Amino acid sequence: MGYGRFLLKRSLQGVGVVWGVVTVVFMLRFITPGSPVDTVAPLDASQETRRRIAEELGVDQPIYVQYFDYLAGLLQGDMGYSYISSISASAQVFSKLPATLELAIAASIVAVVISIPLGVVSATRRHEPADYAATTFSLVGISTPNFWLGIMLVLVLSVEFGLFPTSGRAFGFADSVGAITGPAPFFEVTGAWLKSLALPAITLGTYFTALITRLTRSGMLDELGKGYVRATRAKGLPETLVRYKHVLRNTLVPVITVLGLQLGTLIGGAVITEAVFAWPGLGTEVINAINARDWPILQGSLIVIGVGFVVVNIVVDALYAYLDPRVMGE
Amino acid sequence: MSERGTTRRRFLTAAGSAAATAALAGCSSGGDETPDGGDETPDGGDGTPGGDGTATDRPEPETREGYLQRANLHVHEQAPWGFLNRQYSVYGQSDDIEWEPRVDERIAAYAIEPATDAGEDVTITQSQMDSGLDPQDHRETPTDNIVLQAYEGLLERDAEGTIVQKLATDYERLDETTVQFTVRDGVTFHEGESLVPDDVAYSINRIVDSEVGIESPQTDQLVGVDGASVASEDDRTVEVSLTGLNPIVFQSFATYCDVMNREWVEGNDDSYVNSNMNGTGPFALTSYEQGVAVEFERNEDYWDDPAAISTLTINAASESSTRVNRLLNDETDVAVNVPPQEVSRIDGNEGTSVSAVPSTRVLFTAMRYDAEPFDSPEFRRAINYAIDLESIIENVLQTFGDATGQPTLEGFFGYNSDVDPYPQDLERAEELVEESGYADAEITLVTPIGRYLRDVEIAQAVAGQVDELSNVSAEAEQQEFQTLVGQVTTGNIEDKPPWYLLGWGNATFDAIQTIQPLLATDGALTSYEDEELDRLLEEAQNLPSEEN
Repeated sequence: MGYGRFLLKRSLQGVGVVWGVVTVVFMLRFITPGSPVDTVAPLDASQETRRRIAEELGVDQPIYVQYFDYLAGLLQGDMGYSYISSISASAQVFSKLPATLELAIAASIVAVVISIPLGVVSATRRHEPADYAATTFSLVGISTPNFWLGIMLVLVLSVEFGLFPTSGRAFGFADSVGAITGPAPFFEVTGAWLKSLALPAITLGTYFTALITRLTRSGMLDELGKGYVRATRAKGLPETLVRYKHVLRNTLVPVITVLGLQLGTLIGGAVITEAVFAWPGLGTEVINAINARDWPILQGSLIVIGVGFVVVNIVVDALYAYLDPRVMGE
Repeated sequence: MSERGTTRRRFLTAAGSAAATAALAGCSSGGDETPDGGDETPDGGDGTPGGDGTATDRPEPETREGYLQRANLHVHEQAPWGFLNRQYSVYGQSDDIEWEPRVDERIAAYAIEPATDAGEDVTITQSQMDSGLDPQDHRETPTDNIVLQAYEGLLERDAEGTIVQKLATDYERLDETTVQFTVRDGVTFHEGESLVPDDVAYSINRIVDSEVGIESPQTDQLVGVDGASVASEDDRTVEVSLTGLNPIVFQSFATYCDVMNREWVEGNDDSYVNSNMNGTGPFALTSYEQGVAVEFERNEDYWDDPAAISTLTINAASESSTRVNRLLNDETDVAVNVPPQEVSRIDGNEGTSVSAVPSTRVLFTAMRYDAEPFDSPEFRRAINYAIDLESIIENVLQTFGDATGQPTLEGFFGYNSDVDPYPQDLERAEELVEESGYADAEITLVTPIGRYLRDVEIAQAVAGQVDELSNVSAEAEQQEFQTLVGQVTTGNIEDKPPWYLLGWGNATFDAIQTIQPLLATDGALTSYEDEELDRLLEEAQNLPSEEN
């Protein structure tokens, strides 16, 4: 199978998965207890008021009518309107996406920058102090609850030493880019943006760091024991070249897979970190929407997260196939 | 600020006069209906606790307040609730500003004054952002706090709960079913249009009539208001017609009904109206990031003195520790909803302090009058005797609460100062359980999780204390708030859990707004039916309030 056909096939499968996600997400509303009317109406609203609100929200229509209306809307890029704020759901959801993407990408960078060198060092210096230090670090990282680490970082670095803001997102990537040509002072804006991003990214990235370190270490150890390594060494290749060109490249295949899948998890699952840092991302949006039974927002957010997962998966598959063309045939 | 205070004519006082008229209403005539010694008397003498009896030997009240006080006494004796506490609003506050919290939980930044140079730009952090910026399309405190900076009503309340005039310079009752407001002259909206009486009439109609534009959740707050019209074009008055006497019409208008510009509302769609603001208030919107932050600047053309602070930002953090950290790190000036366990961090920090005020919210456990074993008034009273309110307030709420023995809070119109909370008396409770015929009952208290300050802990304490009775076993069960709401709002008493914990805020400062929806037979949330109570409420609603 050619690389192009492989990508096309994966993309078509992706479309099917997205349609499945949309359907499941839509149906969730009908199997969840509680009516959206309960959130919109005040507690002491009369039954007549409740009935009129149901009519206004369109939740009094049969399921199939609501479903096809929703699909038709989606195809035109319309996710409906928030039950709570009456603001367009797509506007509301997409306004939260940059914050989440920034956090997920920054956390991944934190993780990759720390964990791959750590994993390599730990594998190549097996049973030496460096290995024990790296293993301990990853053990501590993986067992530290996110919210606790976040709160501790804020207490020490923000409240005690005043190095970072405690929470919130004063500026975003777009503000920083805009400041290059715009009237705002570039370094100030970018500095404030990175400062507000630092602690949440470290908090979220730490768990991830631990995971990737261990994965890199065991993958590398696995590869180092293989025949081709002995062969390259026998050919007289310098050890650095053996380790970093051949072994590391093969080790990275499973690492990239996990990294990609975790990026998807990060987009949807950064909820606790987002809450601790009052980070205005999709995780917070999803939790608020669940609490408020604000279905258009919840559905919109889940669809965006689902599409994110699918896209990341396709990209991972593409990279995987590029690094190891054998997978295309499978 | 004091100068501004004196220019506002104080028309009627919602709080404070209850005690004065209590004796007049005849509520204390029975002598010892209070639970301390009263249980013997009512059982014998005046026939109340039987469930069907009317207090025949008590003289009939003469005033509306008297009827409401009698209703409170009756509810206390029949005990359809386990009476718990009045909640407190607790704020963390920076020394950069001078500000006193209000009783009704609303934060009007107009009252904030800078105490230091850093206090000109003020930030407020609450736990939630708004549910949209349309001032007529919501009914909860976080949104109130945001919209009231830019929008104003005809009447409002000051820090103590007294009704003051805003966009109305005069208001009066013309006859039983008509009231009239005179609209303030020389007021402009933030986008420059002048306020005309037609805007006021339109705003009232937009709330009470769903045909005018939206399905407003404030409809039930202005219940009994039929519609509004402008008498003549050159006139500054708006006439409001009522479906009945509606004794608390002005209290209702002081709580909701912000005035919007008709042309602006009609010319924009819902999404726009919910993400922009065009009010007459002391602050004008400069930026709105949905779910993140709202920024205002001082309205220099305000009809009254301009606000003392120049910019105002309201943002949100759902985690209480995050709000407190912001305050400690000088990133915010007011942190809303500080839980008791965070108080010491704020008090111990230089430059910040805690302020707490009793709120308008009462927390109670409701018992369904039609479900065993709660269909017995003896059993319901036994529950009240089993609970140690003082210890709950001291240990669970760390003193940020007040015990209450009636649905109406102290300072509200209709509060009965002769009714004290039930004291804890386990022996009496066990006796009453035996009398009720429900010995060895097993009961479960359903509580929402995290909706009210320490709700789960309160429910566990209550269930634990009731469980100490030798002839009742009780436990607490947690439920998501929305699920509980689904059960209590269906309109059928049978759908409700037999025993559940709920909170109720009442921003009108009038007893009726708590007792009517929660305990009257036709109340939207009721779990109780009682003819005598219904009669007392009806009598009260057919009399004008002494205070307006």
